[in-house]
This record gives sequence, structure tokens and C-alpha cells, in this order.
Amino acid sequence: MVKVVEVSDSSQQKTLRGHEAPVLSVTFDPKDEYLASSSCDGSVVVWNIEDQTRVTSWPLLQKTNDVSNAASLCRLAFQPAAGKLLAVPVETRVHLYERGSWDQVGSLSDELLTQPVNVVAWSPCGRFLAAGAVGGLLTIWDVNSRLVVERQKHEKGFTVCSLAWHPSGSQIAYTDTEGCLGLLDGLSISGTGTGSTTAPAAKPAKGYDDLFDEDDDRLMDEGLSDTNSPVKKAAAAEDEDDDDFLIPSTGRVRSRGAILDDENSLDTGSLKLGQDKFGEDDDDDAGSSVAPAAAAPLRPVYDGPVPTPPQKAFQPGSTPAHLTHRFMMWNSVGIVRGYNDEQDNAIDVEFHDTAVHHAMHLTNSLGHTMADLSQEAVLLACPSTDDLASKLQCLHFSSWDTNKEWMVDLPQGEDVKALCLGQGWAAVATSALLLRLFSVGGVQREICSLPGPVVCMAGHGEQLLVVYHRATGFDGEQALGVQLLQFGRRKRQLMSGEPLPLSPKSYLCWAGFTAEGTACYVDSNGLVRMLNRALGNTWTPVCNTRETCKSKSDHYWVVGAHENPQQLRCIPCKGSRYPPTLPRPAVAILPFKLPLCQTSTEKGQMEEQYWRSVLFHNHFSFLSSSGYEVDEAAQTQSDKEQQELLMKMFALSCKLEREFRCVELAELMTQNVVTLAIRYASRSRRMNLAQRLSEIALEKSTQLQEDEEPEEEPEFSSDRRTSGYRQTEPYNTRQNDEQEEDEEECEEEEDGREMETEETKRCLNPFAKESGLPAKPSLTPVGRVGRSNPFKVADSGKPTSSSGQARVSNILDNMRSSRKLAPLSGSAGKPSKGPVLKPLAPRTKAKAQSTLLQISSNKTANKKTLEAAEPAADLQKQPDTAAPPAENTENKRPKTGFQLWLDENRKIIIADNPDLDETDVIKEAMGRFRTLSADERLLWTERAKGQSGDAADVKKRKRAENKAVESDESNARKKSSSLDPSSKLSAFAFSKN
Amino acid sequence: MDPSEVEFLAEKEFVKIIPNFSLDKIYLIGGDLGPFNPGLSVDVPVWLALNLKQRQKCRILPPEWMDVEKLEEMRELERKEDAFTPAPSPYYMELTKLLLNHASDNIPKADEIRTLVKDIWDTRVAKLRLSADSFIRQQEAHAQLDNLTLMEINTIREFLLDSLNCMYKLRSNLQPGATKGQFGDY
Repeated sequence: MVKVVEVSDSSQQKTLRGHEAPVLSVTFDPKDEYLASSSCDGSVVVWNIEDQTRVTSWPLLQKTNDVSNAASLCRLAFQPAAGKLLAVPVETRVHLYERGSWDQVGSLSDELLTQPVNVVAWSPCGRFLAAGAVGGLLTIWDVNSRLVVERQKHEKGFTVCSLAWHPSGSQIAYTDTEGCLGLLDGLSISGTGTGSTTAPAAKPAKGYDDLFDEDDDRLMDEGLSDTNSPVKKAAAAEDEDDDDFLIPSTGRVRSRGAILDDENSLDTGSLKLGQDKFGEDDDDDAGSSVAPAAAAPLRPVYDGPVPTPPQKAFQPGSTPAHLTHRFMMWNSVGIVRGYNDEQDNAIDVEFHDTAVHHAMHLTNSLGHTMADLSQEAVLLACPSTDDLASKLQCLHFSSWDTNKEWMVDLPQGEDVKALCLGQGWAAVATSALLLRLFSVGGVQREICSLPGPVVCMAGHGEQLLVVYHRATGFDGEQALGVQLLQFGRRKRQLMSGEPLPLSPKSYLCWAGFTAEGTACYVDSNGLVRMLNRALGNTWTPVCNTRETCKSKSDHYWVVGAHENPQQLRCIPCKGSRYPPTLPRPAVAILPFKLPLCQTSTEKGQMEEQYWRSVLFHNHFSFLSSSGYEVDEAAQTQSDKEQQELLMKMFALSCKLEREFRCVELAELMTQNVVTLAIRYASRSRRMNLAQRLSEIALEKSTQLQEDEEPEEEPEFSSDRRTSGYRQTEPYNTRQNDEQEEDEEECEEEEDGREMETEETKRCLNPFAKESGLPAKPSLTPVGRVGRSNPFKVADSGKPTSSSGQARVSNILDNMRSSRKLAPLSGSAGKPSKGPVLKPLAPRTKAKAQSTLLQISSNKTANKKTLEAAEPAADLQKQPDTAAPPAENTENKRPKTGFQLWLDENRKIIIADNPDLDETDVIKEAMGRFRTLSADERLLWTERAKGQSGDAADVKKRKRAENKAVESDESNARKKSSSLDPSSKLSAFAFSKN
Repeated sequence: MDPSEVEFLAEKEFVKIIPNFSLDKIYLIGGDLGPFNPGLSVDVPVWLALNLKQRQKCRILPPEWMDVEKLEEMRELERKEDAFTPAPSPYYMELTKLLLNHASDNIPKADEIRTLVKDIWDTRVAKLRLSADSFIRQQEAHAQLDNLTLMEINTIREFLLDSLNCMYKLRSNLQPGATKGQFGDY
């Protein structure tokens, strides 16, 4: 189809229809009556412009399907002035057709012309015809005599693709396909032209600068101003012509390489000149090539931000739909591959874990383009066609009935754009901006509107992530919004349309959930971002996949992410964004790394590790809050890791004498670790720091106390108590007579560093250890902090001695009762003094507890003191004595352990919940018992097997002894509790080194 | 040494598999293996890989060198050089045989690889025979052969040792009455 447009006002447009393939060239008749065009369909057609009809048509050319495949450009040309002849390059010849009759009146050929003629151009006078051929041959005929007057070979043999005569007729400018512009000069054909003998010598190097200097500037000016001042230009053109004539031009080819933009305009300018000067004489070939360049300055230019085409909807984990073999989905469950070629239109579903389901092969008769895969079902969808609605198909393979498949037709005019599967539901976003929910069995559920066209969706468990276009992006940016919905019992929106941050000029590549259920996504710059629930649902960049790529064109195609272990699963693609289906790509694993500053330094590394650990363990709290089972071992492990990192950072800042930073770090620590930090600070003689830390510790402990007040069952605080108590207890047993030795032992454990000096102080003042500063006014809070542990133990332990008084609000009360209790507990621990295992077992236990921050109930403290005594007692007494109580409870298995524990703790429970009846007490006790750690429970069960009946005896004995040393008791306890952390610290320092 | 014993040794080599089941770490005398996650590649010894493959529990990823282009390069190099070039793997022959026999569906262009490895093998064994021949011909006391794999040594060991023994006996019998010129006959 050819369109004719009136340039001046675009008012008149004519359309000439008839070509069945791309048009190669068009040319106007000089009288603007006709128009000739050549096309890839092989025809050369002459049109009548006025009535838009085809005048004549010749099937002259070879048929091709695209311009790039055409053998010749077949640039036609009407003879200027009268336009009597139309020259058509046909293969190696040029046919001449007479205007009006459209008969072939002649043909120009040359035996040297062996390759197709690309372009023809009439001389301004109309006598000569120049032809440029593939291979670089320029031939000029005298049309009247049909004789060749000039032959010229392009010096490099490049194909000539355009020709233009100088208006004077003495020069021909030509360009070749390699982007060079040449000038054929000194054609002495303006006269009779019968015997032109010019033989241009190639002098390429010379004259480049001349050419520019002489012509360029002025031509440029003219080219730019030609719309404004045609008159002036014409004058200038004449000047220029004169110049040219003045130049002694004795046959030389001027050529220069490297086409530039201004060369184009130069070309334009000169051609324009020709047009202006000669009016209708100008050759149409040149005119056609001028058109776009001349039109350019007329177009209004908008320099502001350009809207970005919105990215299309896609399925995360799929390769583009136009591929014949593609991944329709690759996720953590399996792979859905789609084949769409001549032989086959099929879908293969394969599961990573064949235990889920065996592989499936489906014929894709509906033409599905989207898929998702979960442990329960395969969801497929196809866009609508002319007569068929868009369909959603679900293969619910985990269904237990016989119908494993359902299908839903969407309303007319509504297309599925994105879909995803969650646990028990399927979601579909459509072109009608609707989000439709289905149950996995095919029941239609909620429906809601989306704020914008969907980009992609992802589901996990009960969460649904929807990414959509929030607005139009500008300058290559996408403006995406994100919604995070949660279904299940309490349906709610976690994120309501916040903008989705993307790297500059990138688009979304993948979005999904980690295996633990945290949303994350990848943009086209390879940046992986993860939802940070702890920071108000913000997005934190966790990995840059491009950093690990070897070459610029390599990419990682993300298929999944795991938080524990921290893995980004992706497929490395060499030189592409998508992997091919064959050979089957292998999944690689990338580590995560937060883009913190200075990660080459030790400090930066630790900070990165710490925050990454914090970020990647956010999911624990999320999971527990949404009622999932949490792997407690992993959680405690991660907490421990974080606290260790904090301690390392603390030690590092200490070394660097950054005390303020130390305090900042301490604020991130848990109370236990702060006590460690205090030890560390005091040992490295940073008294000021230690003092500040102790304030923090106090703050934390009071905070904890406050936290536990409202709660029925304090968790962490009880743990803290137990740890404090546990640490105290083994020492108490020895303190009576072996205090000195004990201390020395501890010293040895701690490398004996500067402990000698403190030792005496410690004996005198229990608080000194905490702060490292004896007798200072600020010590009071410190002391309280130090004490708070044992007091709490007392609090928890007290009900056994002073029953009924479970909660003491007054600290003084606490102290008193603790005094009372201390001997008790000490006596309980006493018998263990004899057996060797005593100091070992409980101590390690205590340590584990304080570091692991295990959740244990109030009672663990109380229980443990006794429990510690038990093994010892077991050694003294034979199991047979223990048998009766065990038998009393009638069960010998784990129950007996619980029973024992219950006996110990019943009073506490009753005290805590006075209004409970017996069964409720047991229930409550069961609950509490479960919160005990595994090895504690084990201890209880072991105890049950060989229980000692004479704990009471032992206690009595102990009590007597302990009364004597009661005054020392608090000191000793203080010391031991502080010793223990320091020994921990020394162990830590050791490992660090 | 029996070729099957050499093959047995080769089965200790590690190869990557993609399991289609999930299993925690398994603790074996030879070391810990796993954990096995469906869809994630993991290194296991060949014997386990083949066992799992036979039970259709995994997909074997061919070793890096088991690639048509790399093998072609090696073949050319092997043909060009007079000495032995480093083998693609110390157990290349055994691994090729094992993997191609049991898991040819997981290895792209299995037939080509089989041919290429056979070519390399043939070239190397031909070299080995040639050097053994010249070794005996020139009556050298020792020879240095680098980059030989166990299987290659194994193919020639028995024959070479036996024949050298034989020749030694003959030579020592002949020694008293014979002149040196006669040895050339062997």
C-alpha cells in the first residue's frame, strides 16, 4: 500500500492499494500525475494519483518476502522535465517505459554489468541515466543513443545504494551500503557527451577537509534553513555552483568514510538545493530519500519524560510465550513445560519430588499459555479466542475423589492475565481488573477489583501477592504497586497497594514467596528484594544476582528462594535472560548478601551477617503468629548466632575503643548477653563502659519484669531466672568449705586475667563483680540488676517453701524470701558435692540455657535445683528405693516423669491459678511441662526411673550446714552467678581467637 | 588387577545428581552425603548415583568434561601430541562406560560422547603400545609415562610384565653363549 500525503498541511491523503508485499521504492512523475512503485511482490506498478487507480503493472522482479531479502532495491526514476520515460532497473538491465502508453521503448545494458542494478538516476538534463549496481559499478548511459558513456567501479566494491546528480550535471554523489559517501567528479557529459573520456583517479585521502571546509558549513545552514527562506537558499545554491565551477576539478573521486548525522543533512541540503533550483527537473529518487530528513525538523519535539510502555503480565518462573518450547512454570514444586510446534502442542508437568505426583503429559488443545503448580494442583489458563472464552483449567491431582479436573469459562471479553495457586485456593487476575478466587476444588469464592492491570501474582500458603500497574511510568521506569492479602480464618490485607520499589529503568522479572512464606521479587537489574516485616513491611535488597555474573549478557533466572538455609535458587543463563528447555538447565544456588557498606572490613562483614540473620529469621515470628509450627531449634540457633555476632561486634568495638558504639550494640543484646558484655568491659578495664552497660542491663531487666507482669506465663524472664539460679547453685554447694579453691578454679578457666585484683573485692562486695567498680553510688542499680536473677528464682521457688504467695511485687519481700530459700536450694544441691558429675552436669546445663534462651516456665527453676540433686541422689540410693513412688503413679513411661514434675509443681500451679479444679490443674501442668526443653523432660523421666526417696533427708542435713554459712550465701551466689558468665565469656574469647 | 576392580575404584568418584525425593543428610563411613532436596543438585559417589538412577530416583548431571566440544578438543590434542595429554578425568573411561550404560537418557549426545571417548581411548592405547614397543626394542631399563590413567596402565600391565619376564628369562638363558646382536630378534 502506498500513501500519498500533501506535505504542506497533511490535508490530502491518497491511498494506493494493491501491493501484496513491502514496497521497495516509489517515484513521482514530474507532472505529479502518476506515481510508480516497485514492490517485493515482484511487480512494478504505475498509479494514477488522482483517482488512486492502478494504471499498469509489470511483473518484472523476483518475488521476495522482505525488503532485506530483495536482490535489488529497484529504485525507479522518471525522466525529469517532461517525464517521458520511466527507468526501471531489472536485474542487470534498465528498462525504459514510455509515459502514457507504458510500453517498453528500450533497454539499457552493458556487458560489464553483471550484478543487479540497485538504483537509477536521471541527469538533470534528462539525457543521461546513471545506474548504481550491487558490487559498486556505476554506469552512465546516453539515453538517446543507448550507449554507455561512463563506467566507474567503486574503489572498494561496495554496493551503491543511492545516487544523486549535481544540478549542473557534472558530478554524481553516491552512497554505498557501508555508509560511505562518494562524489564522482569531472563528468564532461554536459556537452554532446558522445565521447566522454574522463577517468577519475582515486584520491581518497586528499580533499576530505577541503570538502568540509568548502561546503559543509554553508550547506548545513542551508539545509536547516531551507524551509524558511527558499529564495535566499536558491541564491546560495547558485553561489555554490559557481564555487564548484571555479574549483579546478579534474576528475577526482572524493569520498569519505564514517557517515555522520550531519552528512545526512549535507546530503539533504545539496539535494534540496537541486530541487529548488531545478524545480521539477530534480530526480525523484533523490526526492524520496530527502523526504524523511526534511520532515524531521517540522515535527514538534517533546523533550519531557517519555511514558514507558507498561510491562506485560507474566507468570513468575515462566519463559516468554512466543517460544515454541518454553517453561510455563518452574517453581519449588516442579516444572511445567509447554511445547507448541508443528508436530505437537502439549504440556509436560514434572515434579521435583516424585513423591508428590508422577509426571504428566497433557495435550494442549485449548492453547494454554499460563500455568501454575502447587503440591495440590496444576492450574492452566488460556486467553480467549474469537469464538472461545478464556478458560481456566485445574488439574486437582491431590483430590481424593475420582474427578481430578475442573474447568471454568470466564465471561465474554475477560481474559486471564495472571494466575496462581495457594494452599487450598487458586487466584486469577483478569483483563477486567478483577481478582477471582476459587477453591482448589472449583468453588468460586471471593471476587474483588484490582486497582490496575495486573503484572503478576504469587501465592504461598494463605498469602497472595498481587503486583499491578499503579500508574504510567516515565523514562523507562515502571510504576508498580503491590498488594499482599492473607486468607485463612482471618482475611486481611497486609499490604494495600504500596509502590513496589524497582531499580532504575528496570522491570519486574520474578515475584514469589520464599519457602518460609516471605514475599520477595527480582527486577531486571538482578536485584532481589525481600519483605521485611519487622520494619513495617518494607522491602530490603538481599542479593544482586548480576554481581556474580561473569559477563554482562549473563543473567540468573530465579526460580525460588529459601530463608533457612539462606539460598536463592536460580538458573544461570549464558548470554540470555531465559534458559532453554533443552538441555535441561541445572539449578544453581546463590547466597544472599545485604548491600551494606564496607563489607570488606571485619566490622562491615559482621554487621552484614547480623542484619541478614535478623532479616532472615523474621519469618519465625510471622509463622508463629499465623499459627504454624516453628522449628524451635532453628530459632534458638539463629538467636544464638545473632547474639554471638553482637558479642563479636562488641568485642571489636571495644578493641577499637569505640565505647559509645559498644553501648549501642549492647542495646541490641538480650539481657544475658549484656551481662557477658559487662564482664568483658570490666575485664578490659573499661569501667565507664561497664557502668553504662549495667544501666542498660537494669533497663532491660525492668523491661522484662514489666513485660512479664501482664502475662500469665512469663517466658524469657523465667528463663533468665533459671539461668541465674542455676549458675548460683553448684557453687553454693561448695562454697561452704571450698570457697577459695572454687574461685581459683574459676580463675584458671578465665585465663586468670586480672582476676586476682578483683577477687578480694568480690568476696567483700558482691556487686563489685558486676560493675568492676567497688563502692560507688551508681552501684545500687547495678547490684539490683545482679540480684534480680537470684531473686526471681526465689520468687519462683518460693511457693514450695512459702506456699500461696506466688507473686511478690515488692523487691524487699523478694529479698527476704530469697534469703530463706537460698539455703533450701543449696541443701538440695548439697548431696551432689560428693559425686564427680555434679559440678559438670548442671553447669553445662545452665550455660546452655542462658545462651540458648530456651523457653521454660517458672517451674523449671525450682524443678532443676531438685533435679540437679537427683542424679547425685541416684548414686547414693539404689533405684529400687525410687521404685515405689514411680509405681504409685502407675505409669513407668514418660508419664511418670511428668507425674514427678507435677508433684513438684502442683503447688505453684495452684498458686498461680487458684480457681482451677483438679483436671484443669493437670491440663495446665501438662502445658507447662511441654514447654520444658527436651533434655529437661528427659531428666525427669530418668529421675522417674530411679527416684530417690530421701531428698528430704538430704535437705535437712544441708539446712543445718547452710545456716552456718547463710550470711555468706548471698555473696557466694553473687559471685558464682557472675563467675559463670565470665567463664562463658572466656570460652567465647577463646573461640574467637 | 581386574578391570572390574578398576571400575569399582572409579565408582568412588563424585558426580552431580538431581534427586527427585527429599532426604536428610545420610552419614556413611565414606563421608556425609546430602541433604537431598528435590530439584537441587547434590554431589554423590557414582555408585550411589547409579543406584538411585536405576530406581528412578534421580537425574544424573554429566561431569563437566563429558561434553562433545571439550572431548573433541581433547581428541585433537591427543592426536597431535606424541606424549600423553592429561586425561579428562582419571577415570574417564570407566565413568563414560558406567554413566552411558545406565544413564544415557540424562546425557545429551550420548552416542557422540561414546565415540569420542572411544577415540581418545584408542589413541592413547595405541600410543601406549607404541611406547611399549619402542621401550622393548631399544632395551631401555626404564621409561617415564605421564598422565596415564589406572585403566590404561591396567590394560597393558599384565601383558608387559609377563613378556618382560619372559624375555628376561630367555635373555639370561642365552646370555652365556650369545652375543649381543641376537637380542634384536626379540
